[in-house]
Amino acid sequence: MKTILCTFLVCVMAVCFSGTAMAAGELIGYVTKSATNAGWIMINNGAKDAAKEEGVKLLTVGPSFQGDLASQLEVFENLMSQGVKAICIAPVDSAGIAPAVKAAMESGIYVIAIDTGITGADVTSFVATDNLAVAKIQGIEAAKLIKKGETIIYVTGNQAQSTGQERRDGFMAGFKAKRPKSEILIVPTEWNSTQAQEGVEALLNSHKNIKMIVNAWDGGTMGAKAALMNLGYGPGDVKLVGFDGATDAIVAMEEGWVYVDTAQMLYKMGYEGIKTAAAAVRGKTVKKRIDTGTFLVNPGTAAKYKALIGMD
Amino acid sequence: MSSNSSNQDTGINNFKDSLVGFGDAVIRFLVRFFQAEWSGAVLAIVILGITIELFAGGETFFHPSNLMTILNNSAAIGVIAGGMTLVIISAGIDLSVGSVMGMIAALTGYVSSYWGFPPVMAILFGLCLGLMVGLLNGTFIAYFGMPAFIVTLAGLSIWRGVGHLSTGAQATPRLPALFDYFGRFNPLSPFRNAYREGSLPNFLNPLGNWINKNWIDYFRTFQMSMIILIVFFVLLSIIINNTKFGRYVYAIGSNEEGSRQAGINTRLYKLIAYLICSMCVAFGAMLFLGRAPYAKSDYGQMWELDAIAAVVIGGTSLFGGRGSVIGTFLGIILLKLINNGLTLAQLETFWQMIVTGMIIIMAVGIDIVRQQKSPFRVRQMVLAVAAVLALLVVMTPGAKTLRSWVHISEHNSAVALEETLKAKNKHLAPTQKTRIMDTEELDAAHAAVKKNTIPAVGFMILFLLAAVHVFRPDNKHSFILAGLFVASTIPLVLLGYSVAAPFLILGAILLAGSTLIDYLFERAIELSETAG
Repeated sequence: MKTILCTFLVCVMAVCFSGTAMAAGELIGYVTKSATNAGWIMINNGAKDAAKEEGVKLLTVGPSFQGDLASQLEVFENLMSQGVKAICIAPVDSAGIAPAVKAAMESGIYVIAIDTGITGADVTSFVATDNLAVAKIQGIEAAKLIKKGETIIYVTGNQAQSTGQERRDGFMAGFKAKRPKSEILIVPTEWNSTQAQEGVEALLNSHKNIKMIVNAWDGGTMGAKAALMNLGYGPGDVKLVGFDGATDAIVAMEEGWVYVDTAQMLYKMGYEGIKTAAAAVRGKTVKKRIDTGTFLVNPGTAAKYKALIGMD
Repeated sequence: MSSNSSNQDTGINNFKDSLVGFGDAVIRFLVRFFQAEWSGAVLAIVILGITIELFAGGETFFHPSNLMTILNNSAAIGVIAGGMTLVIISAGIDLSVGSVMGMIAALTGYVSSYWGFPPVMAILFGLCLGLMVGLLNGTFIAYFGMPAFIVTLAGLSIWRGVGHLSTGAQATPRLPALFDYFGRFNPLSPFRNAYREGSLPNFLNPLGNWINKNWIDYFRTFQMSMIILIVFFVLLSIIINNTKFGRYVYAIGSNEEGSRQAGINTRLYKLIAYLICSMCVAFGAMLFLGRAPYAKSDYGQMWELDAIAAVVIGGTSLFGGRGSVIGTFLGIILLKLINNGLTLAQLETFWQMIVTGMIIIMAVGIDIVRQQKSPFRVRQMVLAVAAVLALLVVMTPGAKTLRSWVHISEHNSAVALEETLKAKNKHLAPTQKTRIMDTEELDAAHAAVKKNTIPAVGFMILFLLAAVHVFRPDNKHSFILAGLFVASTIPLVLLGYSVAAPFLILGAILLAGSTLIDYLFERAIELSETAG
């Protein structure tokens, strides 16, 4: 019995020591929205690289599935009790996460929101592309691709999230200003490319005059491309417009499917997020709002964009 | 002269006879229809189809190319729900189907894209994965006696994790063309291409021309997905209705202990049921890859719920022992049709969620009333539908009143809050600020409340009468209510809500029709007695 107890204690101590050894750099919590979405993988890579450069230890956690607020709240609270100095979070629900963020800020933990803002609580810094502004650019660029009064499809993101709402509102504002008479058919999705594919197929079947499909994210772009392929369309028969600048959409652009893609600087978003967190922990003042900007990808600028994100 | 009148008499009698004969034929048809487990799903499909056709404003919902698209997009989930039917009839459940389908789809694409597996090998590899998962599930459940719910719930998590881990959760670009034969390949397209190139033999040219001319309207969506789906369900229903295995599955589902005592190797057959289910999932993954943009491990999320919903909508009992494969087919069609139709109708996203749930309740509700075989219950259901229609009519002025009323009270409370905050030198949150209206909007809101309140209350009374009538149905009151419904269309149209008038007319028809239900049942029993 004693020996068992001894070994147990030794084990516990070993774990503790290794724990302190690992926490040599500051511990920063990083709460992502998804580990499987192509765009999020790029953000997460940026975060990882920044942590390496800054010499901080990153504790990465994500919700069990995309958009699960309950599990994100849980991991957020777990992080607070694990002694992190700062938390970098991409909230799945802008308002839902606010009380937890407030509690963290009050207990002296720096909170940096990335990608999606937080309403109802102050944060140390907010690092993101301005979705509304970028979507407006997407709308203006998309309007240039069609003639007056032509019908288009818009594939939405989740309309219960601010990212989905802003991208839709921004697109509508930019597009309608230039093409007020165009009919816009909506395919609603919850960031699910299968929903996009099936919805686009349904609409293409009943409307023979669709000239363009605009997507709120590039998973939708790929779903719309599959729908076009399923119905026997070739590249360019119906123009695709993307959002995110995901690598598969850029490949589709080279094949002639995608005409314009408003890329968020995803890698930069993760990178700047962790950099800001590290700076805050070290007592430096940080900007309240960091705009990571956008890159307009079209066949002319695709090569430059590919070099920028390290895609060959 | 006399011969003439007798002719007339026989004429009238013939007419009467044929009328009765026609009525009897209708009753026989109705009885046979409602004996089928899947009648709830069929009825829901028909009602929904007609409604969407009306509301989509000639957007060709019932067009062959659209109906075939629905079938095409039902293929992957349909095959999976088919496998699920077997498991549920055997009184089990498989919650892991969505994760397993995602894992198999991702890994099949992965090995063909990165490991250089030839497509056929990759497909065999995927099917073997299905076999393995099925063996594991079946062994744990049938031989170790673990609850199916728990084993497959664990699987839901495990297989998703395995899929993400092994592929790095990355999308697989460009699937081999062979996968098209599971999905988007159109068997008519080689023929059409031959016609367009002019390489058809002469006698086939008119056919080629006809197909080419109607390509977009009729043939474009005639694809392998739907063909495979239909063949699959025909085979599955032959297996389940005509083999020893099928009979044993039903027996195990209705009474496992009894089946065991009767000498059935219940463990083996349960294992086979899970095995077939997982094989169906693997096959479904191939069908999915035939239409999807790329292979990825996060496909198939929540498919377990869709599959289970389809099985239950199709009249299969969650407690096992009762159900049909055809019902599941119709259940899946109904689910996909809801998505397709609501997209065509361009209904707002959040309303789509509510309407989807309501349609599912309707389909299952019809099934439950059908099983009770009681004229009283049937009548109550018809009357309940009429009451719901009245409620929809209440909502046209009612929603306006309510919305304006809510806006006014939100405005008032925001104004009050602003004043208290001002004293403390604080400000309203932006979302609160948008609640404050200017005088013009405020006047409009007050006017809307004024205009709509009385009509809303009036139609509310109509609805309440109809609702009370559900509990105490009798012929006289049914007719009176039908009359009231028809009369109410006049104020409705006068108020400018003529859109809702069809609801009232339909309600009146249902109310009047409900008085026939007792007669229909009596006559049905008479007919079955004379036939028996």
